[in-house]
Amino acid sequence: MKLNRRKLLSLLGASPGLLAGSGTESGQQRNTRQSSVAAERRIVAVSPKGTPPPITLSAMALRLDTLEGKTIYMVDTGFFGGGALLQGMQGWFQQNLPSVQTVFRKKAGVYAEDDPKLWAEIKAHGNAAIMAIGH
Amino acid sequence: MGVPSVPIITREYVDLAKATAARRGMPRERITFTPHPIWGRTSAELIAILGGADPVSGRPLMREITDALTVPLSTEEKKVGIENVSVGPPVYGPDTLDNLQELLMANGMTDYMPIIIPTEEKVEAMLQGTSHGADEVLRKSIEGVGYESAQWGFTVRQVAVNAVMAGCRPDFFPVVLAMASVGQLGLFGSTTSSSTSLVINGPIRDKLNMNYGLGALSPFAQANATIGRCWTLMGKNLTPGGVPGDTYQGGQGNNLDYNNLVIAEDEKSSPWPPLHTQFGFKAEESVVSIFGGPDVRQGHGAKGAGVAENAKFDEQMSFMFQSMVGGSGALVICDPLVAKRLVEQGYDAKSKLADWLWKNTQRTAKDFRESFLAYVHLYPLALQGREPYATWYKLPDDTMIPFFPRADQINFVVCGGQANAFFQVANMNHGRSASIDKWM
Repeated sequence: MKLNRRKLLSLLGASPGLLAGSGTESGQQRNTRQSSVAAERRIVAVSPKGTPPPITLSAMALRLDTLEGKTIYMVDTGFFGGGALLQGMQGWFQQNLPSVQTVFRKKAGVYAEDDPKLWAEIKAHGNAAIMAIGH
Repeated sequence: MGVPSVPIITREYVDLAKATAARRGMPRERITFTPHPIWGRTSAELIAILGGADPVSGRPLMREITDALTVPLSTEEKKVGIENVSVGPPVYGPDTLDNLQELLMANGMTDYMPIIIPTEEKVEAMLQGTSHGADEVLRKSIEGVGYESAQWGFTVRQVAVNAVMAGCRPDFFPVVLAMASVGQLGLFGSTTSSSTSLVINGPIRDKLNMNYGLGALSPFAQANATIGRCWTLMGKNLTPGGVPGDTYQGGQGNNLDYNNLVIAEDEKSSPWPPLHTQFGFKAEESVVSIFGGPDVRQGHGAKGAGVAENAKFDEQMSFMFQSMVGGSGALVICDPLVAKRLVEQGYDAKSKLADWLWKNTQRTAKDFRESFLAYVHLYPLALQGREPYATWYKLPDDTMIPFFPRADQINFVVCGGQANAFFQVANMNHGRSASIDKWM
């Protein structure tokens, strides 16, 4: 069994470097140096990463010329605080942009679930949407 | 959706929001931010937030929102097409062992403990542990884990690299492949810091010298230690999981993530059929079952746990359940002494004990409705008319309802050295079970 002398010495609190610089080089020291060289051998590691799919870029929807007279859906995903924030925002629109009609909706399902019915409703009856994630 | 839209998110999730938008194909999505958290704020505080600045851009928040809906799109925002994603080079080096340790750690590929450097030779040796081809695609796409895991694919060889790094032996590899085949890997990204338990049944336990006796849940066997570790490494490397602030949001994190509570069941000492037979597998099959949830706690903290004569383990378990996240399940880890005593008390089938616990662990409808999990996960289901939640949301406040929606959410597994009649309760749900034999 080969002893890893570097490791052994470090466990004993002695630096291998101290011995490397002392006296003449005995056969044992030569062996140690060869072991060190082996420890410093250069190797190649294989990447552990998986393979991500390419990303398909989606164009963003064209923006509105103005919000005046438009209908904005306020969508609460169901996380804490999101609904209350959006209801406060409805008040802000009423006060600052009264011609904007706001419609509050809670997205169906747990927060990460899709809600195609709601998206269809927004597309049919809304001009824009604000979605609050909460937390 | 087809109409201009703008998400509003708390500032804690800046990186997550931007990374998610990019992965979903809209890297320049106009995202607005509020201070964090908004949960628990009064109406007056929320109105003040709306009147204040977006903490990321520094601009007035409502101006940011209205501009996001009205300022014309830039050329970059209109861009469509395909963008490839790089995860770095296929190999690292040549370099020294120490430098490669540092390099893989610095690139977030380890659990910050020393790994076995995955050389080509070691990976080839690992691949000898299965009859499956190295280039076999194990998963073309993965359902989202936590918030956004996107659809990363991986092969048998890529799993083998992670198994080498974790310190697995080639004969452990079929267990790792079975785990990887379920489509959900380690490091669940939720703010709840949920983790995993990996329960292993069948002849493989003895072939790999897994420890299911004294100290079964502690670091006393190579297979128990490294298989659990590998689950986390796979979560970090075979999916985009485990990136704090991006795909990992566990507020306090979870120490279980280092090993993922590997449990080899003591099938010989258990008076009940082994766990995997409940999920449709034969007793002689080797199977890994994956559970997920927030924590594990010691049963000897239960009320009445110090009563020496005729210990009522059923009541102790029920007591332990009361502070758990009720929508999640329970995985009760019984020392054989506890299991045998329960049988003596009449629970000759696990289902009898699960039924008793389901019926006798209750809370008021009000307590249910005010619980964290109910609000976030179960109230939306109630709105969709899903039972029993729809009914539970209509009940008077003081009506008593079961703590767990179903009795089969309570599972039992047996292990331990019979040093004392103790049990532990993991607040964890059964997710999937997978055949290990299939990957031999």
